[in-house]
Amino acid sequence: MLKLLRNLIKEPMFVIGMSLFLITMIAGLLGPSLYTASPNGMSYARPSAEYWLGTDNLGHDYVALLLRGLQNSLYVGFMAGIIATTIGTLVGLFAGFKGGLVDDILTMFTNLFIVIPSFVVLVLVSASWPEGRSLTLIAVLIGLTTWPWTARSVRAQAASLRGRDHISLARINGATNLQIIFKHILPYLASYVFMVFIMQVASGILSESAISMIGLGPIGEGSTSLGVILNTAKNNSAITYGYWWGIFPAAIVITMIVFALYLLNNSMEGVFNPRLRK
Amino acid sequence: MNFLRLITCGVFVLSFAVLASCDKREGGRERGGYPRSETLYLAGSQWGDPNTFNPLVEPWLVAWPANDRFNIMYEPLTAYNSLTGATEPVLGTLVSFDTERVVVDIQPEARWSDGVPVTSTDVKFIYELGKRFPQATTAYVGEFVSGIKVDTIDGGIERVSFMVNKRERNNPLAILDQLQAIRIVPAHVFEKYLTDNNNDFEAVKKIKCDDKPVVSGPYTLEQYNNERIILARRDDYWGNKVLHGGALPVPKYIIHPIYKNNDHFAVGLQKGTLDASMNFIPRINERKKDGVRTWYDAPPYFVPGSMHFLYLNNTKAPLNDRNFRRAMAAAIDYAAINRLALSNYTPAMRPGLIMPEGLEKEYFNAEEVDAHSVPLGDTAYARRILSEAGYRSVFDDRGMLRFSIGPNGDTLPTLSIRAPAGWSDWEAIVNLVVSQLRAVGIDVREGFVDGSQYWPALPSGQFDIIMRKPPVAVTASLPWNRFNAVMSSRNWRPVGDGNSMNENEGRYNNPNSPDYNKRVDELLDIIPLMTDKDSLKAAYIELNNIFLTDQPVIPVCHLPEEYYQFSTKHWTGWPTEKNPFAPPQLPWVGSGRNTLWKLQPVTK
Repeated sequence: MLKLLRNLIKEPMFVIGMSLFLITMIAGLLGPSLYTASPNGMSYARPSAEYWLGTDNLGHDYVALLLRGLQNSLYVGFMAGIIATTIGTLVGLFAGFKGGLVDDILTMFTNLFIVIPSFVVLVLVSASWPEGRSLTLIAVLIGLTTWPWTARSVRAQAASLRGRDHISLARINGATNLQIIFKHILPYLASYVFMVFIMQVASGILSESAISMIGLGPIGEGSTSLGVILNTAKNNSAITYGYWWGIFPAAIVITMIVFALYLLNNSMEGVFNPRLRK
Repeated sequence: MNFLRLITCGVFVLSFAVLASCDKREGGRERGGYPRSETLYLAGSQWGDPNTFNPLVEPWLVAWPANDRFNIMYEPLTAYNSLTGATEPVLGTLVSFDTERVVVDIQPEARWSDGVPVTSTDVKFIYELGKRFPQATTAYVGEFVSGIKVDTIDGGIERVSFMVNKRERNNPLAILDQLQAIRIVPAHVFEKYLTDNNNDFEAVKKIKCDDKPVVSGPYTLEQYNNERIILARRDDYWGNKVLHGGALPVPKYIIHPIYKNNDHFAVGLQKGTLDASMNFIPRINERKKDGVRTWYDAPPYFVPGSMHFLYLNNTKAPLNDRNFRRAMAAAIDYAAINRLALSNYTPAMRPGLIMPEGLEKEYFNAEEVDAHSVPLGDTAYARRILSEAGYRSVFDDRGMLRFSIGPNGDTLPTLSIRAPAGWSDWEAIVNLVVSQLRAVGIDVREGFVDGSQYWPALPSGQFDIIMRKPPVAVTASLPWNRFNAVMSSRNWRPVGDGNSMNENEGRYNNPNSPDYNKRVDELLDIIPLMTDKDSLKAAYIELNNIFLTDQPVIPVCHLPEEYYQFSTKHWTGWPTEKNPFAPPQLPWVGSGRNTLWKLQPVTK
C-alpha cells in the first residue's frame, strides 16, 4: 500500500490533480463557514475590492455564492458517486461472479438502463418534481441513472476472476457466494472500483450542473450549486449584457474540479493497472 | 506553397464579393430588401411561427397584427388614450354613454381596402356573431350588449347604440372597453366566406386571410415567414385625411422580427437592428449608451399600468386565515424587489388595488389606505400578527426556518410559490419573497414550473401561491376591472372544478360560506353604473378598504402594462414624458398608433 502511494506521489499528474482537488475540497468544506458577505443591494455589481467577483442579479456576493455552490456541488457529486458506484458494483459483481441466468438477467437490466439516455430520464423526473427538489433528491436521481456503465465494467472484471484458482480454493473450503464476492473478488477490484468512483463523482458534478443549467436543479434555501449559479446567469442574460463574472468563475470552478478528478483517475490507472505501470 | 496562398487569397476575395453582393441585395425592395429609412423594425408581439391572419380565430392562434387589440390592420371603433383617459375616434366616434346605452357614430369616410364603405353592417356582424355561432370569440358580448340600434342622422351618418344588457352584466364600462377591444371586420368578405362554406364557421376559421386581406387600417400584410412579418403602408388609408390632417404614416414598411428569447431584443436594440420592443429588458439604464430610450429618463423609466400579484389560495390553511395573509403582505420588502428584481421599474409601492399614479389616482385616498393596510416591509409587525394569531416558527442554529406551527398546534405545510420557469423577473421576485417570508417564520418555497404546469393551475385553483398578472388592460374601466379580476365571486367554483374560473382564481369570498361578504359583489355591480364622481370615489375607497382588510392577494409591484423601449439610431420623434403626443405604447395598441404619423427617419 505504501509502495503504491509512493508510486502515486511520483506521478506529476497525481500531484497536480490531488492539489487541485484538495484546494476545491478545503474551499468547499470550510469556505461557506469562514467567508460570509451580506447582499449589497445592487444587481450585477462589477468586481471590486469589496466584492472580488462582483454580485449576482439579487446583489449576492459571487465569492460567497461560489463557495456555497462548490460545497453543494461536491455534496451532489459525492452522493451521486456513492450511489452509482454501490449499485453498479453490486450488480456487476453478482452478474460477473454468478454467470448463467443471473448474469443474463442483470446484464439485460443493465443494458436496458444504458439504452435509455440517463440525462433524458433525469430531465423528466426533475421536471415532474416542481416543488421541493433538494440537493439530496438531485444526487439520488443522478446516482440512480448513472450506475449501468459501472456495472458493466465491474461485471467484466468479476467474470475474469471467476475461474481463478483462489476462488476455486475458497469454494472447496466451503465459502458462501457472498463471502467469495466480498472477501475474494472485491478486494481484487478495489482499486478499479475506486477509480470508477472518482469518475462517477466527476460525472455527478457535471450532471448536476447540466440539469441545473436548464432550470431543473435543486431549489430552496441554501441549495445554490455551481449549476444553479450558471442557470441564474443564463436566465438574466449575463453573457448578452457582458456580466462575465456571472458565468466564468462558476464555469472555471466546475472545469477545475472535473479536471482534477480526471487527472487523479488517470494517474491512478497508470499505477494500479499492471499493463500500464511504468 | 505559392499556389496554396493564391487559392487562399482567391477564396477570401470570393467570399468578400459574395457578402458584399448580399448586402446590396438588401437595399431594394424589388430585390427582397427594405430601405432602413423607410422601414420600422418593431418586436415583442409575435413569438411563435405565424399560422393565420384570420381575425375570427381565437386571438392566441392568430399572428400579429391580426390578433389581440392590435389596430393597424383591422381597426376598432375607438382607441383609449391611457395618458389622457380620452376615448379617441377610429372607425367611430364616441357620442355618449350612460347606464342605458353607449352611442357611437360611424366615420362616414371609412373605407375597406377594396373600396367598400365601413358601415353599421360590419359592426353588427362582429358584435352579433356570437348569436349565430356560439363559439365565436366575440360571443361574450351578448352578456353586456342586449341589442344594437342603428339610426341615420344628419349627413347620412350612421349612429350605433349599444344597449346595456340590464338582465345580465349591466355594465356600460365594459362596453366602453369593448369599443377598442373588438376590431371590426369586413362583413361582405366574411359573409361570402360563410356562404361559400355552407355557414360552417369552423371551415371559415381555417381560411388564413394572408393574401391581400381586406382591411380598414393604415397597414396591410405584405409577406411573412417564420422569421418575420412585413407590413406595407396603405397610401389610400381613409384615416389619413379624417384623423391625421392628410398626412401619411411615416414608415413605409413595418417589420416584426420573430425572436425566441429576450436576449435577441436587447441585442437588436443595442445594435440598432430593432427600433422598439415591448418586453422586459433588465437594467435598461445601462443600455442608454447604445441609444436605447424609455418614456422617463429616470426610474421608474416606464409608466405603470398593471399590477403583478401573489395570488393566494384562500381555501387552503393557513392561507384561509386573514391574519396570515396580512402578515405575508407586511413581511415582504417591496423596495428590495423593485431594486433587485425589477431594475427600479416600479414606483414606490402603496398598498391596495388602486394605483396612486396616473388616471387612477383620483380614487386613491392615502389616509384610508394607511388606516386599513398593514405597514409594508415591516417584519416586526408581521411577526407580531403571526404571534397574536397563534402561529409559531422553529428555526435551527443557523437561523434557518425548520417548520411552522399553526394555532391548533399542527405543523403547517410548506407552501409553494408557483411561477413559470425562465421568467427571470418573476423568478427573482419569488426568490426574494421566499427569503423574506422565511425570515419571519412563514414556510414557503420556490416552485418554478413549466408553462404546462403553470397555466392550467390558475383557473382550477390548484396552487398554494402563484405569481399572476391578471389580464387587465389599461382601459376606461380601470380600476374597476382590476377589482373585478381579483375579488369577484360571480363565477366562484371550488378548487379543481375544471378550467372554469377566470377571475378571482384565489377563491376569495366564497358565496356559499357563512363568512361571505356580499358587499364586495354589490360594489362590483354598482360601480360601473355610477356617474357621480364623489359616489364613485366613495365606492372605490370602500372596496379598497375591504381588500386591504382581507388581503385576498398580495400586489408586489406596479409595472407597465406593456414595456416600451425604443432606439433612436434610425428613427426619432418617439413619444416620451417630454413629448407626450401619444401614450407609451407600441404603435399598434390603442392611441399608441399615432406615433406612426410623427416618427422621423434619422437618414432620409
